Amino acid sequence: MTRFVVRRLASAVVLLLVLTAIIFLLQAVSPGDPVKAFLGNNASPAAVAAERQALGLNDPLPVQYLQFLTNLLHGDLGMSFRSHRSVTSDLAAFLPATIELVTVSFVFALILGTIFAVSGALRWRGSAFYRGPLLVLATAPPFLLALGGIVIFYAQLSWLPASGQGADTTGPTGFLLIDSIVTGDPGTWGVAWQHLILPGVVLAIAPAIAIGRILRSSLESTLQADFVRTAESKGLKGHVVIARHVIRNSIGPALSMAGLQLGFMFAGVVVVEQIFSWPGIGNYLANSIPVSDFPAIAGVTLVLGTIYIIVNAIVDVLQTLADPRLSA
Amino acid sequence: MTASTNIAARRLGLPTSALRLHAGNRLSFAIVLLLGLVTVVALLARVIAPYDPIQSVGGLNLPPGSPDHLLGTDAIGRDLLSRTLWGIQVSWFASLLIVATGLVIGGVIGTLAGVFGGWLDNLLMRFTDLFLALPGTLVAIAIVAALGYSLQNTLIGIAVVWWPFYARIIRGEVRSIAARPHVEAARLAGISRPRIVLRHILPGVVPTAIVTASLDIGNVVLLLAGLSFLGLGQSAPAPELGADTARSLQQLLSQWWVPLTPGIAVLLLSLIANLGGDAIRTLMNSKR
Amino acid sequence: MTSASQTAPQRGGVGEAASIEGLHISLQRDGVRSNVLRGVNLTIGRGEIVGLVGESGSGKSVLALALLGLLPSAAAPEITGAIRVAGVDIVHGSAEELRTVRRDELGVIFQDPMTSLNPTMRVGRQVTESTHDHAEAIRLMSAVGIADPELRFRVFPHELSGGLRQRIMAAIAVAGRPSLIIADEPTTALDVTVQAQVLDLLRELRDEFDCSVVLITHDLAVAGQIADRIAVLYAGRIAELGSVSDILHRPNHPYTVGLLRSRLSLETPRDRELLTLRPETGSPGERMTGCAYHTRCPLAIDRCAVEQPPLEQGGIPAADAHLRACWRSINDVQNLAHHSQGDSVVTPRTRNEAAAPAVRVEGLHTRFVLKSGGRKRREVHALRGVDLTVQAGEAVSIVGESGSGKSTLLRVIAGLTPATSGSVALAEGGAQMVFQDAGSSLTPWLSIGELLRERLLPLRLGDAENRKRIDKALVSIGLPLSVAGVRPADLSGGQRQRVALARATMIPPAVLLCDEPTSALDASLAASVLNLIREMRQELTMTVLFVTHDLSVARLMGDRIVVMTQGEIVEAGPVNEVIEHPSHPYTQSLLASVPDIGVLA
Repeated sequence: MTRFVVRRLASAVVLLLVLTAIIFLLQAVSPGDPVKAFLGNNASPAAVAAERQALGLNDPLPVQYLQFLTNLLHGDLGMSFRSHRSVTSDLAAFLPATIELVTVSFVFALILGTIFAVSGALRWRGSAFYRGPLLVLATAPPFLLALGGIVIFYAQLSWLPASGQGADTTGPTGFLLIDSIVTGDPGTWGVAWQHLILPGVVLAIAPAIAIGRILRSSLESTLQADFVRTAESKGLKGHVVIARHVIRNSIGPALSMAGLQLGFMFAGVVVVEQIFSWPGIGNYLANSIPVSDFPAIAGVTLVLGTIYIIVNAIVDVLQTLADPRLSA
Repeated sequence: MTASTNIAARRLGLPTSALRLHAGNRLSFAIVLLLGLVTVVALLARVIAPYDPIQSVGGLNLPPGSPDHLLGTDAIGRDLLSRTLWGIQVSWFASLLIVATGLVIGGVIGTLAGVFGGWLDNLLMRFTDLFLALPGTLVAIAIVAALGYSLQNTLIGIAVVWWPFYARIIRGEVRSIAARPHVEAARLAGISRPRIVLRHILPGVVPTAIVTASLDIGNVVLLLAGLSFLGLGQSAPAPELGADTARSLQQLLSQWWVPLTPGIAVLLLSLIANLGGDAIRTLMNSKR
Repeated sequence: MTSASQTAPQRGGVGEAASIEGLHISLQRDGVRSNVLRGVNLTIGRGEIVGLVGESGSGKSVLALALLGLLPSAAAPEITGAIRVAGVDIVHGSAEELRTVRRDELGVIFQDPMTSLNPTMRVGRQVTESTHDHAEAIRLMSAVGIADPELRFRVFPHELSGGLRQRIMAAIAVAGRPSLIIADEPTTALDVTVQAQVLDLLRELRDEFDCSVVLITHDLAVAGQIADRIAVLYAGRIAELGSVSDILHRPNHPYTVGLLRSRLSLETPRDRELLTLRPETGSPGERMTGCAYHTRCPLAIDRCAVEQPPLEQGGIPAADAHLRACWRSINDVQNLAHHSQGDSVVTPRTRNEAAAPAVRVEGLHTRFVLKSGGRKRREVHALRGVDLTVQAGEAVSIVGESGSGKSTLLRVIAGLTPATSGSVALAEGGAQMVFQDAGSSLTPWLSIGELLRERLLPLRLGDAENRKRIDKALVSIGLPLSVAGVRPADLSGGQRQRVALARATMIPPAVLLCDEPTSALDASLAASVLNLIREMRQELTMTVLFVTHDLSVARLMGDRIVVMTQGEIVEAGPVNEVIEHPSHPYTQSLLASVPDIGVLA
């Protein structure tokens, strides 16, 4: 067990190195010039040359990569061409909002997906009216869902806000939901929830279906397993059979799919944040793309990629905990 | 039609009964035909489209159902139907291209790894797993951002991160078929190695490959539209579904059809692709 | 009232644990509805063990699920008739009533204990679910013969051996003191030595807990070992019902006679062709008129095809009755039973000592790493120094239980698995192999003709000669030439195994390796495939290495028997010597656990 955890963490570190190498190489071939970004376009050629030397841009690539890694470890992701601030401080400002949105949305996805799976596997009456539309929505591009949601729930019904987080946070954690509780501000807490619902649900629908489908098929195959027949022949109540024998043996595949989807959500958040003007790093990335702000793009890719890799490593470890056959 | 599907099945090495139509399979077959229809529409977009997609051809922001403009016009009077049809062409063939590239690259790597095993398998699969474990969409965005924004670079960016999935699946399928007794029996029967691969292994991989690829088209349609929405794609006047929505966002609350029409087209493409993939799977599974 | 009254004098008249009356069940599969049970009447007395014997497709497992009220709803069961367990109507009872009956009155043991236990729940907890009491669970676990129950309480099913898992199932079955235990092929997935223990356990549980048992099996001898009465099921009807000694020694139905005669035992004559049942051609379950068995019955008369013979005059049969559903007289059937010798005589080949040996294996070791569950690695030392020489023309049977290394040995000789050390030398012609599951050893998308033709490719004979050879091969295995055009899926299991044999032998190999080629087949089909192998051996002067877990098959197929356990050969010698004077204790225990029905009357 411990050996597996250690090996899994080691492979996560290798993956991070590869990710940084890819970003570094892309940075090297990207057209933007970090020196001019730093000094401004009007800097004299001599100043530029001196700065290039100082930044180590004339060194061989491996040396530059080591320097790049060292900088990363010190939290230095370079300068944003657009904001002329350090990418790290930009990201630090925007990251909490993204994590908050994705976390809430992931919970939505789990709830929607579980209802989808359970209602299908147990053949709840009328559940087709839930599953059918959800299936269709899951094939829609997220931007269409977001825009449709805005038109219906904001413009037509005026039920939900369509832009931003509703408030800025000045609290200790940077997470609006938590800070508003810490600072004893239930009003802001409620406003924050209102603002989370639309982007959260839009972001949740595709993962909900992906998780729900896997969970449903593994529920269905577990329901036909011999040991469930054994449990039924013990005369256990239906819900006891499900709770003790079916669920645990079904969640393995759904768990790894959920991890995968959580990772995907950190990528999918970009479009949603942009449409809802959500002050997160997805929005930051979306705004950096039109102006080709490569350091910013690279920074976001690194941060979200790191989260993705860590999430998947954690899910793998959780899966071995859930199934005793997997741990040696 | 039945005769030609049988020939197709034979060429793929599938049992002909795979495509024999049960009553319950008629619907699936109809949906697969729908996939063909989309392809034909995409192919003939420039013939079907009533207007030039780039020129201003009518009043500004005409609503859908206008006499000469079925889907209306945008803020500078371009015909939305024409733009959407052209956009469908780009989206559909780009998606097919990416799936095909993934299938070919992944298929070759997966087959090599699966057939030869040993160090080659190890090497190829380590490499594949590395790519699989990276966040594909983000890496694709970074690649396009580094290479410069164009449809071609977007396709390169996605293709780079898309093949590992196929390599994994095909390698797994090759391994599982290669481990079946019928392959061992063929080996013992003294049949040459290339012949075993071509006659006893690969025909068994084809159904999985087809089903996987067809189920994947919808994913690629959505991903392309998303990247195009973010501005990673063709530049301004060219019609492209995601980008057209992004460029008319400010009209959402005044003329909703302008930004939503291309989005709905993406929904339809992705829906048909998904249904088609499911239908193909149903048809393949209903053999026996 | 013979053996049932002898073993359990107080049983039979006291009442009944369950009764089945006029039971018809039809199930739907892939959109096709078929009649699985077609009028079954049976009572199970208190404390009685009833053996329910039938081949695959006889409906025996459906009967078990019906008794439990657990027919899969996906199969849309349609039931008429009555099932009563402990006085409760199973057919019409509410879900809650059925659940209570399962909890209080029924216990069950399924075929495969690995899949029948929840893999993610500790076994103790799975027992406690039925007992609701830790101490009682521990008590039951030791009652079913589990040593260190406290220790074993906390393990997961995959950490136990097959035999122990089945004991856990038994502990769950007896928890709650059921009045009836249903055991559906409880020994089929287990090794022979363990089979005997599990059967003994079932009888002990009946004695200790005073419950009834329905033992479902395909093997008359297994039922004969512990049952009081046996019901022989054919195509959803009871063909014959009676006490164990009636059924085994005075069978009154041609089907029972056929089953008994085609059953291989240590007494089956080695020098004669094995007796077989006529193969089933259609689906007997769909023939609603006449006797379902009449197409295979050697005694069939015109009446059998049109009129269905009744098992009895109606109503539930008396506990001690010997009943049969057949139009022919008892005398005719008994004559059939006594005419039990195969026709043609098989002359054993003399081996050619002068020629070089066909197979020479020396100091063979094989280790490999098993990956189970994706991450766990376990090294298996499958062969631990095996020496074996097979003379040209000789037939050697290798006997062992699962994990003995017998199949690995075959695979190493074939060159499918590499040896870690040691040597394998084959005579010219190499090895060909017939696999356990013929269905999976034939490439599913190629036609039989293509599969056979491929084998001839290296000879470069030309199309006409190829076709001639293929036709000859098909004739030699007794299949019509039109089979060349069909795919393996269109053939039956027995036919597929014949094709596999034809492919292996159409260019005669130095040695034919047979890896349990008949263990997936019903007894009568198995006998016909064994006959074919023996015939081919005689015609082609072939050397045969035959791997099996079944000593009676080994005895029939080999000149010599080699006994393997844990990767080593522990005994080897001429057939009669090994069977009659086994020297190694392992061979002795194997012999002792072969289920047998004793000498036929």
